[in-house]
Formats: sequence, structure tokens, C-alpha cells
Amino acid sequence: MHELSMANSMVEAILDTAKKNGAIKINEAVFEVGELTMLNPEQLKFMMDILREGTIFEDAEIVINMIPVEVECESCGFTGETKTDENMDHLMTVATCPECGNTRVHILQGQECTVKTIKIEREDENA
Amino acid sequence: MHNVASIEIEQDIIQANDKLAYGNRTKFDEKGVFAVDLVGAVGSGKTSLLETLIDEMDDDIAVIAGDILSKFDAKRIENKNVPVKGLNTGKECHLDAHLIGHALPDVPLDDISILFIENVGNLICPADFNLGAHVRTVIISVTEGDDTAEKHPMIFKGADMAIVNKVDLADAVGADADKMVQDIKTINPDIPVVKCSLKTGEGVQEIIDLYKKFQNQ
Repeated sequence: MHELSMANSMVEAILDTAKKNGAIKINEAVFEVGELTMLNPEQLKFMMDILREGTIFEDAEIVINMIPVEVECESCGFTGETKTDENMDHLMTVATCPECGNTRVHILQGQECTVKTIKIEREDENA
Repeated sequence: MHNVASIEIEQDIIQANDKLAYGNRTKFDEKGVFAVDLVGAVGSGKTSLLETLIDEMDDDIAVIAGDILSKFDAKRIENKNVPVKGLNTGKECHLDAHLIGHALPDVPLDDISILFIENVGNLICPADFNLGAHVRTVIISVTEGDDTAEKHPMIFKGADMAIVNKVDLADAVGADADKMVQDIKTINPDIPVVKCSLKTGEGVQEIIDLYKKFQNQ
């Protein structure tokens, strides 16, 4: 269940940034989660919903974009996305280059969990 | 009137852990301590492996024993008369670099040459969290089923060595230990894999030799 600690860090990062920027309300938060992380976006959302209750983040729209896996093959030099399926076995694609089938591949992308942007409201300075 | 603004945060939570892991690594290197992150499923033999290594290795060893709530693992290590720091994660399924950083002041780094960090029994979540150790060892056992490696590729992808334990029981549980080794090699062709039985002693010397090799690298 490390969605809880991740969600906690994500909510903290958002509230921290919002406060520094004088926000009175957060309208939207955008996240990127790599498909290779052991994180389930539905669980992340669920945890964030609990953690953001009673904060200015409470009513914001949460957007989680899944980041596809990109590998670099040591053998043939292929660089790019690997095919992913909907089931758990998609993780096996990390072990194989989609071009030549070699298993010596570096993972370039797909292991991140990033708080990207927030949209906030603040008091108008002229008001 | 309120104005609306879009603010970039660009904060990678996993990278934040990596930064802390780097801090731990620096601490180990300053003290000349070789650190091993030991990952494995529940009941794969993590604590038994540590008990064996404490008996068989000449090094001064300390252990950080991660567990959800109990102190059972820490107590078993304590009985071996080596420094042990029990680390309860509460509800968390893995250790992270932050927890290790907080535990380190309680570990006598000046007096030891090897620190084993026994992760929480889990082959899934620890894959996301670098602790700063020099080597990550994954231990699985034939009793978990011989499809265990292929079902958990990420943990092997990020490992530096792997152990297939309880090979003496392979026939009894109908598991093919060689298949498990082959699956690990498919996922990560470069890591050494040791077939081992902590009961019969098979493979133990090979594990010790590997740690010595890693230590001298």
C-alpha cells in the first residue's frame, strides 16, 4: 500500500506550492505516473481524496497521465516505446527489445511519479 | 475578483527518494561500510540467510531489520550478538531511503564493514525505492512457485544478485529451480543467480564469495 505515502508526498508538494503562490483555491492538479511504477492510479486518487479533505485542494480536478515505457536496446540500438498490454504481464516487456528481442535493455522512461502542474485561484491584487 | 494561474511543480516523488538514497550511500562510503538491501517475499528466507551469513562471514556485520509491526526478525538477529536496528514501517509495504536515513544514527557504522538491510517481505513495492545500498539482493524460494520470478520482473530488473532458496524442497513442491534461474537471467541477463539451500548449506559459500567480490569493486 505505498500509494498512501506517495499520495501524501504528492498532496504535500501541491499544498506547499499553492501556499507559496498565495492560492486560495486549487482548481486542477496534473500528475504523471510511469507505467512501470508499482502504483495504481485509482488507488492514488482514492488516497488523495482522503488526504485533501478540508484543504483548498479539496475540489480540484485530479488528472493522472500514465507515462508509457521507453527502452534503449544495448544490442540493436533501438530507442522507443515498448508495447504494453492491459494485464500485469505488460511488465515483462521491460525485459525485451521490441525490435530484436534482446533482453539487455535500459529503461529510459516509465518509472516516474511526478507532480507536474497545478491551476490555482488567488485574490486579485487590484481587488 | 480572483485571478487564475497555472504553476509548474515538476516534482518527482520517486526522484526525491533517490536523492535521500544518495545521501545514505555517501554516508556508507564515508564510513567504509558495504551496504546490502535484501529483498524477498514473505517466508523466502531473508532472516535465515542473515543468520547464516553472520555465522559464516568474517566481517563485522550489523543489520537493519524492516518489518511491518513485529520485532520477531530483529530478535532473531539479536540472538546472534550483532548490532541490530529494528525498523517498523507501520502500515508501509517497503523501506524507503528516508526511513533508512533516520535509522542510521542507531547503527554503529564505525565498527562494522557490512550493513545488511532486511526489507519488508514483498517483491512488488520495494522495486520503486532505492535505499542507497551498494547491492540489492533478491531472494526467492522454490516453495513460492517456480513462476515467482517471471511474475515480478521489476524487482529483478533492478537487482544486483539473486538467490533461489530452498532448492532441497524443489521436488517435494513440484518446482523447477532451474526455470527460476533462467527466468531471472531472461529479465536481467547480467546478474549472478545462486541456487541455495540454507538447510543443507548448498550455495552459501557462493553467496559469500559474491559479496566479497562486490565489496572489492
